[in-house]
Amino acid sequence: MAARLLPPVPRELPALTELRLEVRAFLAEQVRDGVFVPHVDTWLTRWDRDFTRELARRGWLGMVIPEEYGGRGRTYLERFVVTEELLVAGAPVAAHWIAERQIGPSLLTYGTEEQKRTFLPAISRGELVFGIGMSEPDSGSDLASVRTRAERVDGGWRLTGTKVWTSGAHEADAFFALARTEPLDPVRRHDGLSQFIVDLRGPDVHIRPIVSMNGDHHFNEVHLDGVLVPDDRVLGRLGAGWVQVTSELAFERSGPERVLSTFPLLASAAQAMEDGRLPLDEGLGRLVARVAGLHQMSFAVSHALEAHEPADTAAAVVKVLGTTTEGDIADYVDGLTATGWVEDEELFTLLHAAILQRPGFTLRGGTNEILRGVIARGLGMR
Amino acid sequence: MPSVRPLVELHGADPDLVGVLSELFAAYRSGRPAPTHLVDLDRDLWAHLEELGLSRLTGSPERGGSGGTWADAAALLGIAAGAAAPVPLVEHDVLGGWLLEAAGLPDDGGLRTVCRPDPSGVALNVTWAREATHVVALWEDRDEWRVADVPLDHVALTERRNIAGEPSDTVEFDVDELEAGVVVSRAVGEQFHLRGALARSAQNVGAMERIVEIVLRHVAERTQFGRPIGRFQAVQHLVSDIASETALGRAATDAAVARASATNWTDPGMLFAVGVAKSCVGHGSSVVVRGAHQVLGAIGTTLEHELHTLTKPILARRSEYGSLHEWDETLTSLAVSAGHDRLWSLMTTGRAKPSSAQFPTRGGV
Repeated sequence: MAARLLPPVPRELPALTELRLEVRAFLAEQVRDGVFVPHVDTWLTRWDRDFTRELARRGWLGMVIPEEYGGRGRTYLERFVVTEELLVAGAPVAAHWIAERQIGPSLLTYGTEEQKRTFLPAISRGELVFGIGMSEPDSGSDLASVRTRAERVDGGWRLTGTKVWTSGAHEADAFFALARTEPLDPVRRHDGLSQFIVDLRGPDVHIRPIVSMNGDHHFNEVHLDGVLVPDDRVLGRLGAGWVQVTSELAFERSGPERVLSTFPLLASAAQAMEDGRLPLDEGLGRLVARVAGLHQMSFAVSHALEAHEPADTAAAVVKVLGTTTEGDIADYVDGLTATGWVEDEELFTLLHAAILQRPGFTLRGGTNEILRGVIARGLGMR
Repeated sequence: MPSVRPLVELHGADPDLVGVLSELFAAYRSGRPAPTHLVDLDRDLWAHLEELGLSRLTGSPERGGSGGTWADAAALLGIAAGAAAPVPLVEHDVLGGWLLEAAGLPDDGGLRTVCRPDPSGVALNVTWAREATHVVALWEDRDEWRVADVPLDHVALTERRNIAGEPSDTVEFDVDELEAGVVVSRAVGEQFHLRGALARSAQNVGAMERIVEIVLRHVAERTQFGRPIGRFQAVQHLVSDIASETALGRAATDAAVARASATNWTDPGMLFAVGVAKSCVGHGSSVVVRGAHQVLGAIGTTLEHELHTLTKPILARRSEYGSLHEWDETLTSLAVSAGHDRLWSLMTTGRAKPSSAQFPTRGGV
């Protein structure tokens, strides 16, 4: 029985801390110069290609991509601290988020030499922006039920179907689409899925906005109306799409963005208590402790994954606890504020955005209900 | 450029020691008599720990200790607490032995407990006091901290027990004897509370890990509606939450222990790190204790069942060396003083400047 889910918790040494401070100083300067206004949930809601390219110039993009493919050849732990600093500062990072987190690593693992040479340098320069197309109107948590189909045609595949909740598809250049290359086998539901690299600016791709409840446009429907994808844009092995998609999940689930989406609000609340604009309340300390503990946990998982040690269950734990906590931060600050009493434009902007983004925290990347099942499986219960 | 300098280091316990401890306490658990509602020191186990050099694990070798690190100590505390072993490892070794050593006082090997008497010389809830030969008192005398090693027959002792049924006595000292104590550095006085709080967190997270094992075994064995209850999604989610909160408590505790081990408690971020552990383990234990009792059903509420030998001490210990509320206030003060620009720095290094916003001060141990 695996009662201990957590890999060893490493202690950060000066080499990492110095990298943190370098990134932190740069971000403080950017805020001072008005390059960006700190916001919450910026890895979904704040696109800024210029800022993304500036990060690339400073060596903070394509970090885990080897130098021979135009990347920086650094470690996941170095990327981890850079990622934390960006989120904590509320910097606009959505444009490169998906490419940096999963497209790059997937290409490295499954891409052909030509695909790596074509895409990785542009990703590392922040010039190629990727999305990911997995969910469909009838496929949310049950991803094996995707109905987008790829039919064999001369020289490639013809993709037909609809992807939904595709973050930033209206801004992105390309995405990975998961599609059926063989009909659904009810006994082996996860077989027969394949991944394709699809040009979102190409013909027969139609992108329609899905507007969120606060009026913002981040999500899209992507209609693939017989899109021709050449053979050399199949990612990895035909029929192995499920394994390829799930193999990177531990990274996707345990990253700092599962804990820190509302950190700028927590920081503003601390300042408001110091200034007397919010009541001094020990609930703040409780949340600070939780975020600090989750930071350690997320770091431990990242360290284990870098060493190729299994940490899938621990990654699911980070996501369940982290996404709940980042939402609790919004609810907590809301509970402290009295309408008509506090005039604080900055705090309320962050608060209202956090409250309205909150439902998504525990949905995206696997709902917490699904993840509790993953944890139960890791504990040997199913 | 790839880094050539190391990025991280691990400060775990000695794996050989962990192996020995796991075996030792598993054997203890399977061989001991049925649980009782009053819990007294297990003298046989204590004698065995003395023979193995575990009763003074953190003592320096020149004083007869085993020279263990804080990571080693945290492992011992967690594993012993997971076996609900009624032995005063924190009181005798981690705190009492450490204070004697810091004060340069002789250690005759007799069983010690430890406390911080109030200005009138009274200390409440002194765990295991009646079983000790001496009580090591840390005494704040104006601007100085003193340590006195007071024989039990010099104090007035009123026997009491905590919610776990363990001795938690009231001890009254002769103030003259406290004032005659040896002066120790301010750092020792200030660290006492932190060391106590982290030791309690290490014990509690160890007990929580054992609870996860008990819960997992129960849901696999207990059958209702024709299948093990662990097959029900509602039960899986309850157990998942228990295991998750335990893992978070473990992360926070191990991070604080690593910081203590790496810097021998000199890191200015220790207050924050210990507070994070106390808060995460403390709040997490609410989920774990309640959830475990829910999963185990009525059988888990009986005297004969192992569960209460873990849940009751968790609740007793989590209020020691600062209540949950008090630690959350401390963390809040640190966070507020760090303010917007330095909150994250506080969370990664533990360092902050003093704040102008203040909670009212209160008494308590």
